Amino acid sequence: MLSFVAKRFSAMIFVLVSISILVFLIFFATPGVDPAARIAGRNADQQTLMQVRASFELDKPLPARYLSMMKHLFVTQDLTSYVNRGAKVLPQLFQAIPATLSLVVGAALIWLFVGIFLGVFAASSKRKWIDPTISVLGIIGISLPVYWLGEVVNLITQSKLHNSVFKWVPALGYVSLTANPWQWFLHLLFPWLTLALLYAGIYIRVLRSEILGVMKEDYIKTERAKGASEKRILYKHATRMSLITIVSLFGLDFGALVGGSALLTEVVFGIQGVGKLTFDSLQNFDLPVIMATVMYASFFVVFMNALVDIVYAVLDPRVRRV
Amino acid sequence: MRRSLIIKSLLTAGALALSVVASSTSSAAGTGMVPFDSAKAGGTLKLVAQAAAGTLDPKVNYTGQFWQLYQATYDGLLGFKYADGAGSFEIVPDLATALPVQSNGGKTLTFTLRSGIKFSNGAPVTVADVKASFERIFKVSSPTAGSFYNGIVGAPACLTKPATCKLDKGVVVNAAKNSVVINLVAPDEAILSKLAVPHAAINPASSPAKDAGTAPIPTTGPYMFKSYDPNKLLVMVRNPFFKEWSHDAQPAAYSDEIDYQFGLTPTAQVTAVENNQANWVYDPIPADRLNEIGTKYATQAHVNPLTAMWYLPMNVNIAPFNNVKARQAVNYALDRAAMVKIFGGSQLAAPVCSFLPPNFPGHVDYCGYTKGATPTKPAKAWAAPDLALAKKLVKDSGTAGQAVAVVVSDDDVNKQMGVYVQSVLNSIGYKATVKPISANIQFTYIQNTKNKVQISVSQWYQDYPAASDFLNVLLGCASFTPNSDASINMSGYCNKAFDAKMQKTLALAVTDKTAADKSWGQLDQEVMADAPVAVAFTPKQLDFISTGTKNYHFSLQFKMFVSQLQTK
Repeated sequence: MLSFVAKRFSAMIFVLVSISILVFLIFFATPGVDPAARIAGRNADQQTLMQVRASFELDKPLPARYLSMMKHLFVTQDLTSYVNRGAKVLPQLFQAIPATLSLVVGAALIWLFVGIFLGVFAASSKRKWIDPTISVLGIIGISLPVYWLGEVVNLITQSKLHNSVFKWVPALGYVSLTANPWQWFLHLLFPWLTLALLYAGIYIRVLRSEILGVMKEDYIKTERAKGASEKRILYKHATRMSLITIVSLFGLDFGALVGGSALLTEVVFGIQGVGKLTFDSLQNFDLPVIMATVMYASFFVVFMNALVDIVYAVLDPRVRRV
Repeated sequence: MRRSLIIKSLLTAGALALSVVASSTSSAAGTGMVPFDSAKAGGTLKLVAQAAAGTLDPKVNYTGQFWQLYQATYDGLLGFKYADGAGSFEIVPDLATALPVQSNGGKTLTFTLRSGIKFSNGAPVTVADVKASFERIFKVSSPTAGSFYNGIVGAPACLTKPATCKLDKGVVVNAAKNSVVINLVAPDEAILSKLAVPHAAINPASSPAKDAGTAPIPTTGPYMFKSYDPNKLLVMVRNPFFKEWSHDAQPAAYSDEIDYQFGLTPTAQVTAVENNQANWVYDPIPADRLNEIGTKYATQAHVNPLTAMWYLPMNVNIAPFNNVKARQAVNYALDRAAMVKIFGGSQLAAPVCSFLPPNFPGHVDYCGYTKGATPTKPAKAWAAPDLALAKKLVKDSGTAGQAVAVVVSDDDVNKQMGVYVQSVLNSIGYKATVKPISANIQFTYIQNTKNKVQISVSQWYQDYPAASDFLNVLLGCASFTPNSDASINMSGYCNKAFDAKMQKTLALAVTDKTAADKSWGQLDQEVMADAPVAVAFTPKQLDFISTGTKNYHFSLQFKMFVSQLQTK
């Protein structure tokens, strides 16, 4: 078991190092990307350009540059941005994490609640029209792109009806939980709902089809033959089994969103989270910030996967041999 | 300089119905601000922008976005006057008691520093701070160290070895007399302007010898920076040690605090101002919001001309634009009205074909490339393209059928302009393609000869009001460095005879500015006959402010006066 964990973690380190090298090489392979002239400023003198190049170690060969960047990122932790000079990268990232976590955790609670409730309801409903209605609602939720939905929500709550029904909606942005819990809630309410809608739609459909699939299993038939009530079969057996799928799905979705995939929601609602930080740094060609956010995101995804594998191994000894 | 790091303009063609736009800047040119009215002071001014403008260090930051704030925070020996319109180009004494006494044929400038002024940390402003500030320009590798301040005695050594920079002979100070003497290697016609921009601001001698980044440096103006997080917020509060010493150079400010919020999309910014959640929008207004601003919120919109140009640099060193006829053909064929329309319509831009923009020193109303005109017999203004003549010129040049790539930024406006220029080039006989690249790297990409860019769409916004800031900077031999990302002369135009005439005019400007400006006007026409670029239009600034925001004034130099806005 221990050697399996060790192997899994060394594989994880290998993946992270490869990703960082890839990001680094792609960046410098982009034509015209050399940041020196942009850092030096418009119409900078050639000597000034040379000094900037030297001070940002851009005159060194690529491997040395890479090692130096990794050292500043992980060892001395004082890596600074190419664009916002003097702005340390790690504090920016750590400040962005609570905003992203607030957004994703709140939205996750909503979509899990709505998804599970409506999914079970759709699968179990006796009335013919309920199941298709919920399915259609789910599809609508899935098909509405979050950036579009977010803009429409803004149009209604911030512009068209801002002076009447939605007077209580605060301006776009993020207020931290510790600064003002009520304002934190108000600022995040519509972002939560917007982000949750898509996932709720997916979870409703997945859970419904899982339950219906499980209901055809032999052990359900056995339960029925034993005379268990339909309610007991649905909740105790079918739903419980189906939730395993939902849990693994949720693990992946949650990891990806916390890692920065909530960026569209963050950009539309002006929330300074990890996704927005990544988006802005990509737009600005700010390699240090790109590197930090990509490392953070891939760490989350890789770590979650490693964790899942290990848990599987604990549960199922057969996996350990693979 | 350019407008900002990223041209985030989202304006698109034909969408503008900005019919009734009021401008409060109607007072006569040169009028200063009315005296400070303490009854209207107080409150918090909220500004919003999509992104911050990088380092807060006034010696390093080179963006219009933060220069606008520096005029209310930092002071140099000289400053630009707080006045509307052309008056804002006037240079007035700021931390110096008067304009400098110029001697030694313009090579020596003598100032007396005002006494009794304190930095926002309570320390007095001394001549030692002045000297240290000039040395710091080189120590922090300021972008303009080699272009603006290389004429100070001792500057070349500072440029090679910034860490040990000493300007003992270039900036001579006398603490007893409170005097500052600046010695130049040669007279410089634009030295007063160069001393009035933020890179020459006086900062405490204790400021770090490297880019201070996000750490604020103590100020002298009515505001100081309290905190700066480039991803969220910049907070400016009153400088407790500020007392108005010159109403023209640095008048007292109205709001108690300025919060500059970053991160909202331009459309969310407009909504925030409409809802009175913010006072002013930094980014260009998106096209789909112009209509409501022009109708429902017309009284809150202010349009002012900018001394800037959008233009098409053509690489004179590679085919097909190494042929003057090919370059002239582009100039004749370019429908400037179409470019204006793409930018947002006639309320937001005006077609031009002179190199020096209107309202700028040396500018002459002329157009050599409009229907019925020639470079030698120019018309008064641009009227219509001349496609037939353009086609003929391409045919005569023997370049017809050649492949041409138009390199543009990848934002909506620039891409549309690229596609439009492509259609123009195709119609006059070339095989054109558009190459849109990230707005962030396009500007440096098109400068490097290694990238073999033939034609591109670019912009130039003035640094200070002097014709040399356009002609000499953009078309001088010194601005052309092959294989470098910093080679602002994108056309690679180095005409020795023309360059010599510019040097002569620069020298003339030291003694006779009027004659020099006349000469710049002639040089403008002379160089445009050679057509290293095609100028398309001059843009205007649209400021959108909330209902409660009063006392809007606009400077041609630093745009809207932030410190003068009233929120009470």
